Amino acid sequence: MLGVGWTLLNPLIFMLVYSLVFGKFLKVHYPGGSATVFILSGLLTWTFFSQALIMATSSIVANGSLVRKVAFPWVLLSISSVIAALVNFAISLLLMIPFMFLAHKGVGLPVLAVPLLVAVTFALSLGLGLVLAAGNVYLRDLSYLVNLGTLIWFYITPVIYPLALVQTKFSGHGLEGDAAHAVIYINPMTWVVLGFQDVFVFNRWPQHWHGLGYSVVFSALSIWIGLRVFRRLRRRFAEEV
Amino acid sequence: MSEAVVQIANVSKRFRIYHERNTTLKQSLVARRRGRYEEFWAVRDVSVDVPEGESLGIIGENGSGKSTLLKCVAGILVQDKGTISVRGRLASLLEVGAGFHPDFTGRENVYLNGAILGLPRRYIKSIMDEIVEFAELEQFIDNPVKTYSSGMYTRLGFAIAVNLDPDILVVDEVLAVGDEAFQRRCMERINTLRAEGRTLVFVSHALDSVRAVCDRCVWMDHGLARMTGGVDAVVAAYLAEVNRREEEELEVVESTEVDTSPGRLGVRITAVDLGGPGGSTSVLNTGDSLTISIAYESPEPLRGARFSVTFLRADGAPIITVPTDDLETGDTALPRQGVVRLSLPGVPFLEGFYRVTVEISEIATGQHYKRLERVRPFRVHSADHRESGMALLGHRWELPQVAARAARD
Repeated sequence: MLGVGWTLLNPLIFMLVYSLVFGKFLKVHYPGGSATVFILSGLLTWTFFSQALIMATSSIVANGSLVRKVAFPWVLLSISSVIAALVNFAISLLLMIPFMFLAHKGVGLPVLAVPLLVAVTFALSLGLGLVLAAGNVYLRDLSYLVNLGTLIWFYITPVIYPLALVQTKFSGHGLEGDAAHAVIYINPMTWVVLGFQDVFVFNRWPQHWHGLGYSVVFSALSIWIGLRVFRRLRRRFAEEV
Repeated sequence: MSEAVVQIANVSKRFRIYHERNTTLKQSLVARRRGRYEEFWAVRDVSVDVPEGESLGIIGENGSGKSTLLKCVAGILVQDKGTISVRGRLASLLEVGAGFHPDFTGRENVYLNGAILGLPRRYIKSIMDEIVEFAELEQFIDNPVKTYSSGMYTRLGFAIAVNLDPDILVVDEVLAVGDEAFQRRCMERINTLRAEGRTLVFVSHALDSVRAVCDRCVWMDHGLARMTGGVDAVVAAYLAEVNRREEEELEVVESTEVDTSPGRLGVRITAVDLGGPGGSTSVLNTGDSLTISIAYESPEPLRGARFSVTFLRADGAPIITVPTDDLETGDTALPRQGVVRLSLPGVPFLEGFYRVTVEISEIATGQHYKRLERVRPFRVHSADHRESGMALLGHRWELPQVAARAARD
């Protein structure tokens, strides 16, 4: 039971810290009025994604003894670690309920968009995770780089700041502003997180359909590439792991 | 002959032996050269077909490539050349209890293991009782396997493997687990599988179980399939080769002389010689006469000394120690230099390697003057004898008279 407790406690603590620092101290204005609900909706999504990615990366190496001795579709090891992250995510969604209550927001039909958003996150983390899991067999420091990479990625995803902030802060800053915009717009997780914020903060359908469409294509592509890379690299797994 | 369910055609497998290994991204970015490695062909151009219902054994020395070949068949390794085609559902057991989770109970691990081997939950449930009974774990099946003894652990692993229902079972050296009774039940179970027409591919060092289980056999030698054929012929050829190699090694050992440095009070053993029917030798037949000559030197005449010779098996286990005590040499002074001989009218030892430990000691105190451990190895052949084991014992069989008469009538 403690395991489930941690699943809830971790995002809860980070949400409190972020909303205190950004909402109270730095006086960032969060659309929808509630810093806590805004941050929590993005944070849960992000935690799902980063956890899935990190766990998938080490999925083959961590089960080395199994890979060396038992022939079965090893890709299941990576898939199951993403599913484990999904289960954690589903549990952590319970956290949304009291906070939405406090923010006096209801839940309506737009909640039906959640499966799509989850599917995109799932596919994206699995696709990248497959490449990283296979690569990690040959290059063992990849898992450290993934930890570092997800940390950076977190900050170029509008989780703890609203996208509008970037748009106003950087408009008219020329090259620098364009670069900042480009990084955030190219990031497929941006549109997923924005979608979650639409559903849970504003109780409305995701607004950025173009961006979300891009994310869908991106994640489908990542699955395709991930499976291909995995299939190629798995030939020498049992020797190298 | 029925169709082959496992076809191994010209299969080769290469491993990389790294000298300098770039296992991290950092290293491979910084290193000027790419990781240097040598290629090593663990399996070279092996072709074997296994027809449906046949049991194929794979034998060979350590490092001969038999496990590598088996892993290729199991699909864990991918061969670099050649093709392997498998028809039917294949289950492999390369290590007992591979994939057990220590925190799960025995029962949960049965489900986990079955799932890994691709079996539906329903099916595992149906054979659960059989597995538990086979493993003799009725009391413990709901405890975490980390609390199991190693024997319980291996019994459970094996019980799962032999109670699965694959078309083809690939097994690596796992029969050598558990006690005698359990091993016997495993063999029985495997024979049942064979009777049901399952195909078996089986790697083992235990030539007796290969002979008991397999129809045909492949002898792997340095990656090559040196011989393929009926199990008796291949095992016999393999054994002959092993014996030949051991003899070659023996010849090298033989040339090394015994340690002639002085012991207590300057007593030395200058030579230990084995004499067979035809003079000095290292190879004998069971029943041959054997003389062991111990040449010694001492600064003073040896008084109250005991000589003893111990015969040892190749693994170091003593068979018999023969001291000179019976001679009552008590006060007899032996000359400063001489040869003591021990004669055996007929060597009772059966096929194998033996050594001797030679000792000169003082009867009064029991302290040795000089002791040579495990010297003068010799080989005994017993091709003419039907008995097996370590040594011949006098024996006589009696058959029941009634049966003999009945046979005559």
